Amino acid sequence: MAGFKTKRVEASDELDLVPIMNLVSILIPFLLMAAQFVHLAVIDSTLPAIGEPKEVEEKDEDDKPPLVLTIAVTDKGFFVSGADSVLNPDGGGDEDEDAGDDEGEERPPTVPCKGNAVCANPDAYGYEELTRILGLVKDEYPDDENVILLPESRVQYEIIVRLMDACREDRVNKNPDGTFRDLFPFVVIAGGAK
Amino acid sequence: MAGVKTPQRVIKEEALNITSMMDLMTIILVFLLKSYSTQDISIAGDADLQLPSSTSQQDPELAVNLVVSGRQIVVDGVPIIQLTKVPDEENPGKELVAVPEDEKKGQLIPTLFDKLTEKAESAKAIAEASGSSEHEFKGRILLQCDKKLPFSVIREVMYTAGQAQFGEFKFVVYKQE
Repeated sequence: MAGFKTKRVEASDELDLVPIMNLVSILIPFLLMAAQFVHLAVIDSTLPAIGEPKEVEEKDEDDKPPLVLTIAVTDKGFFVSGADSVLNPDGGGDEDEDAGDDEGEERPPTVPCKGNAVCANPDAYGYEELTRILGLVKDEYPDDENVILLPESRVQYEIIVRLMDACREDRVNKNPDGTFRDLFPFVVIAGGAK
Repeated sequence: MAGVKTPQRVIKEEALNITSMMDLMTIILVFLLKSYSTQDISIAGDADLQLPSSTSQQDPELAVNLVVSGRQIVVDGVPIIQLTKVPDEENPGKELVAVPEDEKKGQLIPTLFDKLTEKAESAKAIAEASGSSEHEFKGRILLQCDKKLPFSVIREVMYTAGQAQFGEFKFVVYKQE
């Protein structure tokens, strides 16, 4: 026994983390598969209804004419129509009719492009100004929630989506409770101009 | 020297120090748990499909998935039509994406119409077999369109979908926080 040396092995005082490591290593690939790095949302829209005309309820003569808010989009900007009582309170509607008869004269856009006469890219459209105008229309017609969009054939899809955002809610002038003010959330995309 | 005991060598077990790795793993785990999602839809990874961003906060729901990228139209993962590029008359030198002329009849795209009608019929059959209002066919369709697409293509796709009894469009967009 004289030459036999005993070696004392000291137990490690560290916590054994290996089982937790195993668990975490299994969880990470699973969560990586289910992780979502981009968040998706949807925008509702419908086609214009085709069918039997509905019977219009008889209204008192004092009632305002119904709002048929329509926004045409071309490469020159946004053309808002159907809200002349707000946009042209001084009888602009009659002028429009005259302009329609006069084929040579073109009505200027309600919200023209920023800077140039022609919008070169989606950022050149005046979405904020359109939201402001729609806010004025909403003040006049608080119960209306529909808007019809008439985009030109060459208008990019991104512009239509941003236009729908501008029509849906006012993110500048908020409600007293801090939520965004709803404008015209029900968007109908019509055939549009060629 | 006989009585002097040589000191015993203390051998410490060499364990791998994994504490720092555990820290890292915990951070990754928390991040992944936060981004965990059980959303019904997924977007196809395609260089020609860049969805626009929107302030809409409405979550998507399960419906027929119609993808219109810069190259093709895909219904529920099955390519239906290859799109083409035509010269832009108003901007010489530039091109616009369009549905090939031989693939459409007026505004209608017959191949897409047949596929969507088939989807609508099968959805109705499922609804009838299940008998519950939860599976009722509502004509919902998820539209994933590339942000650079001209409206003419989207109009033809929407018109065709409308003819195939899909009237409730849900445009899929990236959510802006």
